[in-house]
Amino acid sequence: MFKEEDISKIKVEKEKWIEKTGCQQDAETFRNTPSGIKIKNLYTPRDVSNLDYLKDLGFPGSYPFTRGVYPTMYRGRTWTVRMFSGFATPEETNERWKMLLNSGETGFSAAVDVLTFNGTDPDTPGVDAEVEVGTSGVPLYSIKGVEALVKDLPIKDISVALVTEPMTAVGLTSMYFNVAKNKGVPLSQVAGTTQNDLGTMTIGYITYDSLKPDKLLKLACDMIEYCTAMKQAPKWNPINFTTYNYREGGINAIQEIAFGFTNAIDHIEELLQRGWKIDDFASRLAFHLSADRNFFEEIAKYRAARRIWAKIITERYGAKDPRSIIMKYHVQTAGSSLTAKQPLVNVARTAIQALEAVLGGCQSLHTNSYDEAICLPSEEAVKIAVKTQQVVMEETGVVDTIDPLAGSYYVEWLTSEIEKRILVYMQEIENQGGFVKALSNGWLFNEMSKAFNERQKAIVEGKEKVIGVNCHLEEEKERPIPFKTNPWAADIEKERLRKLRAERNNQRVATLLDQLRRDCAQNKNVMPTVMELTAEGATLGEITRVYREIWGIWELPIAI
Amino acid sequence: MDKKIRVLTAKVGLDGHWRGVTTVSLILKNAGMEVIFGGFQTIENAVNVAVQEDVDVIGLSIHSGAHITWIRKFVEELKKRGLEKEFILVVGGAIPEHDFAMLKQIGAHDVFGPGTLPDKIIQSIQEKVEIKELEGKIV
Repeated sequence: MFKEEDISKIKVEKEKWIEKTGCQQDAETFRNTPSGIKIKNLYTPRDVSNLDYLKDLGFPGSYPFTRGVYPTMYRGRTWTVRMFSGFATPEETNERWKMLLNSGETGFSAAVDVLTFNGTDPDTPGVDAEVEVGTSGVPLYSIKGVEALVKDLPIKDISVALVTEPMTAVGLTSMYFNVAKNKGVPLSQVAGTTQNDLGTMTIGYITYDSLKPDKLLKLACDMIEYCTAMKQAPKWNPINFTTYNYREGGINAIQEIAFGFTNAIDHIEELLQRGWKIDDFASRLAFHLSADRNFFEEIAKYRAARRIWAKIITERYGAKDPRSIIMKYHVQTAGSSLTAKQPLVNVARTAIQALEAVLGGCQSLHTNSYDEAICLPSEEAVKIAVKTQQVVMEETGVVDTIDPLAGSYYVEWLTSEIEKRILVYMQEIENQGGFVKALSNGWLFNEMSKAFNERQKAIVEGKEKVIGVNCHLEEEKERPIPFKTNPWAADIEKERLRKLRAERNNQRVATLLDQLRRDCAQNKNVMPTVMELTAEGATLGEITRVYREIWGIWELPIAI
Repeated sequence: MDKKIRVLTAKVGLDGHWRGVTTVSLILKNAGMEVIFGGFQTIENAVNVAVQEDVDVIGLSIHSGAHITWIRKFVEELKKRGLEKEFILVVGGAIPEHDFAMLKQIGAHDVFGPGTLPDKIIQSIQEKVEIKELEGKIV
């Protein structure tokens, strides 16, 4: 982008500047980003002299999409304000969603409880329903729960994200599809996303009695195949590779993207093996990234990720459809950066991370509530989180021009550097046989543990500074009273299931569960049968029990 | 002490936050203890493993917020089998400080909340095992 003689002049002038000011650049003055990239005190055109504008950056909405996936970006439409929310009962969550809608939310996102994503009904023997129902999210065990969740909400116009993993994603999404149909929104029109990310409940968090990774991959791909390739729900994003959840475990920005892309590649390979072409499904592969603590590294990460994804999808898989090539993603500010001490400081942290996400070009955004290190978000805290996005959107002016940090010597240099490092780390994962193999053989667990332990050590030793925790400490004032969920939720949900089982056609459910057993044994796409099952009132627990029965339980490859 | 301290580490319930228990297991192993990593366990099974493996210490990791319920149930199971004086029971996880006293009253011998330094866990276990060996009681 610069003339060679200008670059030479800059070199000479920089040396003079160093001599004059003593601002020497050597090993002593480097600083590291959280992912270990050495940062100089100053960047000049020399650091980006190899950058080719048209090839490396291009225009928004054009290859390689470094500057954004849409030509108009926020000038055309601002990002979706999508708050992840759920607790107690579907009715109470429905009230919270209405409050959020009135506060300016533009997309819904369901946080489900541990029994829902685990595929266990609350009336299963041995389950302590009192402690598990509704305490960490909204209980959605059957179509009745989903009905109550979206009652009187404009789901025709506002998309819904269902945050659950492959083991229960097909079941929960089918329930939602059936509810939408009953509310007059045909499958061809239903808009939203299912998280459906096999990495989340394996390396991020482990589901009790999980299926084996290859079966989770099969289930995830069944939904992509049904919704997108078979065009049953063409406006639905059947998967959202949730690198956010891996990142929260302590890995760095480079690992985050490499994990997500190699995971996506395994899904692409599986669908190609099933006989589909890349353009049959790639347009609906979406991502959910983190906005963590280092401002510029995160922004560079988003820009680099779009560029890498565009290259993978075209160069490696030969996609032609422009919609296949763009990497669309939701961002969540980093929950792990929040502190239980001095919780109001979390408002500042979240605001800065939201700004990163927007400067990086996200399509949708969740901002955390300041009390989330202590409890599920209270109404007051969640309103401030929504308002934080509105401040960025309406007051700061950062939406007025597209990709405003492009051309910054530092940001462009860092974008290229991160791109290189992501590719190297992806190769390491591919050397393990890909993401799912690396998960099965324990390699990913080791990488996660290593990262987590190093991060903990850095915080304990004060190398990673956390305000109020290891520096700038303050006398602890009285903490806000933790938000508590409904103590009767377990009784309410058990009664909901009892009534459902008494009213539904149990004969029909049993017949369909047998059909599901055959589907699983014969490796057929399970989604058509599960669509019927959930319409008939089968529970998530009944469906998941079939998977476990036919395919068995995964023995975790964690060695101490 | 020349005999290695034997510890069973496990999670009870459906809560799947796994990194805490693996991290602490490694810390104890690196401190020279024999760690039996139990992963997810039902209460009954965890007690069975503790007996079979003849451990000195049972370490439970709980992040669901239901630590009081789980520890109460666990201690009940030990009492039912007459084992309450056999094992040193320690608990770790997302446990707020104001629940520590309650957990100890129920029967946990020590509680490690967020931010506990590794040395504190090691030291607590070593001390309790030593006193049990010398004086035959758990403190």
